[in-house]
Amino acid sequence: MNEIFHSVELIEEKCNGCTRCMIKCPVEAIRLKNSKAVIYGDRCIDCGVCIKVCPYNAHVGKRDVLDVLDNFKTKIAIPSVTLYSQFGEYIEPGLINDAIKSLGFDEVFDITYACDIVTEITKNEIEKMPKPAISPFCPSIIRLIQVNYPELVDHIVKVLTPIEVAAILIREKYGENSDGIGIFYLSPCVSRVTKGKYPFLSSETHIDGVLAISDLFPQLLKYINKNKAAAPQSNSNMSSTGIAWAIPGGQSKAMNLEEYIAVYGVENVIKVLDEIEKGKLSNVDFVEAFACTEGCLGGILLADNPFNARRIINKYYDKLDKRCEINEMSEEYKSRFLSDMKNNKTYNPKLAEDFASAVKKMNFMNKLINSLPGTDCGQCGSPSCKAFAEDVVRGLSTVDECKFITLKGGEGNEGK
Amino acid sequence: MEKALINLHYEIIHGDFMKAGEASSNIKKALMQLGVDNAIIKRLCVACYEAEMNIVIHSYGGCIDVDIFEDRIEMNAKDKGPGIKDIELAMTEGYSTAPDVAREMGFGAGMGLPNIRKSSDEFEITSVVGEYTNVRIVIFID
Ligand SMILES: Nc1ncnc2c1ncn2[C@@H]1O[C@H](COP(=O)(O)OP(=O)(O)O)[C@@H](O)[C@H]1O
Ligand code: SF4
Ligand SMILES: [Mg+2]
Repeated sequence: MNEIFHSVELIEEKCNGCTRCMIKCPVEAIRLKNSKAVIYGDRCIDCGVCIKVCPYNAHVGKRDVLDVLDNFKTKIAIPSVTLYSQFGEYIEPGLINDAIKSLGFDEVFDITYACDIVTEITKNEIEKMPKPAISPFCPSIIRLIQVNYPELVDHIVKVLTPIEVAAILIREKYGENSDGIGIFYLSPCVSRVTKGKYPFLSSETHIDGVLAISDLFPQLLKYINKNKAAAPQSNSNMSSTGIAWAIPGGQSKAMNLEEYIAVYGVENVIKVLDEIEKGKLSNVDFVEAFACTEGCLGGILLADNPFNARRIINKYYDKLDKRCEINEMSEEYKSRFLSDMKNNKTYNPKLAEDFASAVKKMNFMNKLINSLPGTDCGQCGSPSCKAFAEDVVRGLSTVDECKFITLKGGEGNEGK
Repeated sequence: MEKALINLHYEIIHGDFMKAGEASSNIKKALMQLGVDNAIIKRLCVACYEAEMNIVIHSYGGCIDVDIFEDRIEMNAKDKGPGIKDIELAMTEGYSTAPDVAREMGFGAGMGLPNIRKSSDEFEITSVVGEYTNVRIVIFID
């Protein structure tokens, strides 16, 4: 079951068994076994909520450390657009790129160029799709759809993220000489780490590692403070349409869309997906949905608070006067940037492989639900009575783990 | 009569917009657990939600039963209420008598009944003015 790679990990010694993460996990992926949290990997969407709510810092996000650079001859950084928002004021993008290079990178790729390519492709794709089309950008939301809304998978735009597009362009640029090239994404979020290792909407990834912006931040800040006075050595050609990707609604703005929804926070996204599933919102063209508050600016691997970061992003948006300059792309050129939806390994919601056994289990499960108090006390180690009943029929818990069960309405117990 | 393998039963209360949509969400989850095809889940979800909303908005209250058989899913939405005088008119796209309170909440597009019919393989609506409305649909699983 746990075969899907995840970047959220539990340090067992630190876990105090407090149930907070179990209760807060928006997809009920956490259980308590022997007073320790356990993450069910097939359901986890890597949203990082458990990392945020754990009072003992027992949940951590995996990522690479800067030392991995040593394994490569030529090191190339793809910084998330959110990185530019982290320094409390408008800093020349070139200087930030200088700072990134000072960490040991040979080149900093301008991700706004890749954002603009994806914008152009998306504009085209959504014309041919069921409405509303859903942005494939936030990996946690894509997992959420795969796990809880499989019937909405065909609403996801089948385009690669700007990160993959950037990596493909870099590999193509180096061509024959791409041996020894290491491509690293500087990430605001843990979910991207999973995505980097395990690209669940396409068969392969083109990046070699994912670094946390918060890990690099102190060094970057130091470099910037020291070199602020001088003119930057790197140049930068960022577009405002690309930088807009840092904010919920930015992708739609870049596409000049009017009928769009931008939503963040897993609970809120669930409300919107619930509506789409019921056939509503079919008058909306595009939905940008993010797991984190304020979208990627609320990613847990950033240094600054998302609200201040948005203030800075707005400055970039106003100052950069280059807008998307991607012209007509040939179908062949575009096709490299479409996701094949292969490797679509996903949660299997079935209670049993064959229909007859699934029916049997469901009938037993419903009977069990009626025998439980419905107070969702959590003492069984499952987040709710319903979840517990499901765990029992899936063989993940045993009936005696609930201390309050009264077997009423069960077979042979009628009228009790 | 052939007995359903699974019966899901939901009471629907008139005017309860807070709980509206719960039946269709629960039904979707059950269908996923049974391994029903995603395209069928989507159709049933839409039909069930619209039927649920019609009971909430237009009737005095009722219930929805989803019966799962080996080869098909049946949904019966039954209510007590004003009934429908002109069924053909009610089935017309865009026709709606939804009151203002419902319209303010974004309902009343007059697409509910037409979409239920579109989502189903068999569709039947019976109604007696001043008494009840029953909507019955069948979706075949292959
Ligand atoms: N259960 C019901 N009881 C009474 N009238 C109904 C019922 N369902 C539908 N109707 C009538 O049929 C009309 C069309 O229904 P529908 O297509 O669902 O559109 P809407 O619900 O948006 O009005 C309703 O406005 C109402 O007059
Ligand atoms: S990362 Fe999100 S989905 Fe995974 S266990 Fe934590 S809260 Fe749940
Ligand atoms: Mg209706």
